[in-house]
Amino acid sequence: MAVLEEPIKEVLNIKNFIDGEWAESEGQIKDIANPATGKVIARVPISTQDDIDAAVASAQEAFPDWRRTPPLARVRCLFRLKDLLEENFEELSRIQTMEHGKTIDESRGETRRGIEMVEVATGIPSLMMGSNLEDIASGIDEYLIRQPLGVFGIIGPFNFPFMVPLWFAPFAVATGNCIVVKPSSEDPISQVKIAELAEEAGIPPGVWNVVHGGRTVVSGMLNHPHIEGICFVGSTPVGRDVIYKGCGDTGKRVIVMCGAKNFALVMPDADLNRTIAACMTSFYGNTGQRCLANANLVVVGEGLSQEEYDAFYATVVDAFVSAASRIRIGYGLDDTVHMGPLRDAQKKEKVVKYIEKGIEQGATLRLDGRNVDLVGDLPDTCFVGPTVFEDVTLDMAIAREEIFGPVANMMKASSLDEAIAMIHRIPFGNAASIFTASGKWARQFQYDVECGNIGINVGIAAPMAFFPFSGMKDSFFGTLHGQGQEAIRFFTESKVVIQRWF
Amino acid sequence: MDSLNVTASAIISFTEKLEDRSSAFYEELADRWVDSKEAFLAFAKESKKNKTQVIRTYQETITDALEACFSFEGLDLRDYEIETALAKDASYVEALGIALELEETACAFYLDVADRSESLLATIPRAFRRVAKKRGKHKLELQSLRDKAAAGS
Repeated sequence: MAVLEEPIKEVLNIKNFIDGEWAESEGQIKDIANPATGKVIARVPISTQDDIDAAVASAQEAFPDWRRTPPLARVRCLFRLKDLLEENFEELSRIQTMEHGKTIDESRGETRRGIEMVEVATGIPSLMMGSNLEDIASGIDEYLIRQPLGVFGIIGPFNFPFMVPLWFAPFAVATGNCIVVKPSSEDPISQVKIAELAEEAGIPPGVWNVVHGGRTVVSGMLNHPHIEGICFVGSTPVGRDVIYKGCGDTGKRVIVMCGAKNFALVMPDADLNRTIAACMTSFYGNTGQRCLANANLVVVGEGLSQEEYDAFYATVVDAFVSAASRIRIGYGLDDTVHMGPLRDAQKKEKVVKYIEKGIEQGATLRLDGRNVDLVGDLPDTCFVGPTVFEDVTLDMAIAREEIFGPVANMMKASSLDEAIAMIHRIPFGNAASIFTASGKWARQFQYDVECGNIGINVGIAAPMAFFPFSGMKDSFFGTLHGQGQEAIRFFTESKVVIQRWF
Repeated sequence: MDSLNVTASAIISFTEKLEDRSSAFYEELADRWVDSKEAFLAFAKESKKNKTQVIRTYQETITDALEACFSFEGLDLRDYEIETALAKDASYVEALGIALELEETACAFYLDVADRSESLLATIPRAFRRVAKKRGKHKLELQSLRDKAAAGS
């Protein structure tokens, strides 16, 4: 076992970051434990309405000056932030592993994708430009300008504590807005570190605020009359409330990115070695706590006889189970480990209940992750190993509901049409993947499937920072998505000027 | 450790150690055999550069969207463990022999991991191949030093 050095040596007393200062909250304090070791690593405040009011007031006050700061000057702050993130790359990554549980490779991957958002947002002087047309009528010109709106709230999930708030924050700030970030109260340390670096990068007080907490902070943000818009990433039930109850009542613009139940289709002509390797990361990466994780694997028998199909199905499932059973589970800072723990004991309990439900509803448990062999001497409080079910049908809870854990369901479809119909019977539409060598099948898949992110021979269909992070059906509520040009449109108001000079 | 399932991070940690050990080894050689000091110090400097370049490439390439953790199927790092400790009374030719073995092992390691990461990652195999090429050049220079030493003795 080769465990990398832990960057957090003593328990951190986390504070809010309001108006460029680290501020204590009057709210209760919650312990944050490293899910792999069980050791408390930080204490976070569950902030009050007063805290959120103070943060919004500070952001409002900062807005006029920040908005008037030339775009090039604003992005110079982001260039410095990018440099600081690079300088602190390893520490930031190890913190994610300590607070969330993911492996160090996964954390470094998360850090990289977060930095990419900052990199893309530094293009704002070009990306934010409007458009114009002369002589739309006699002697009249018309042009469009994009203006920032004011204060935005960003509510982050626990599964990507570093990256997800960065899907929005750099774009909001670069376009001239001010933000209040509420990290998940389960793993808030990464956002504290980012705020420290944002301050060091020269982003003025009040432009980038962080308020920790739970429901009080969320509802305080949703109901706040001076917050113009909300970016939320979390579960579908909460997401519905965010858009329809919270932001619907107050008329805020929203990006609400929610739950998923993603399918991977394996066609008879797929390159099996590469498919299985991709599936391991897709199904079990981040311990299944990823909205782009695949959960249902459909072995498709298009063009095969029954006998051929049975043999193909057995080959795919055997290879999947064999690879899954070789995944090493333990502390993510041990770089011989492939999969870390779930974020906390409640999440483990939820996953275990789903495994039990799967058995009750008639699925066959091919690989049981409940009794897991760990690398190293660790408490098993938050660990569940890779789990594989066979004989899964779409009416089962394990096939329809988001488990958010390392559980894979093996399913059958005799044709591509049937497999696509299966995807459409699920209420979610976040992502779907197909593994095939056929351009025809791949095109049919991308054309017909009602999901926002499509992977063709790619297990995790994660859009890069310059493309929108899409999503459909119960996986996304709103109009414009995070990342890229859509984020810029979300964080700005279009104003059209029609001018004539006499 | 399961030799069939090595993480990208473990490969990078191994690379770091290999290059650290190489630079320390060549610095020791430079101290002990001043006639070849310049060549040995150049090798040591290159090892430091190799480490920086490989880590930077890895950090700039690894992403949450890539299949990073399972990239090195079938690799056994024990195949590339190498002892560089030099006996106090080791001769110049013996030292060159250890250096040649180090370069051969390092070169084989980098080519192996380049081949195994070819299908999933784009820039990482290229970085490994670049280091393998440099290690190959070291080997030729070391052979030439050894030939000269043999001719002189």
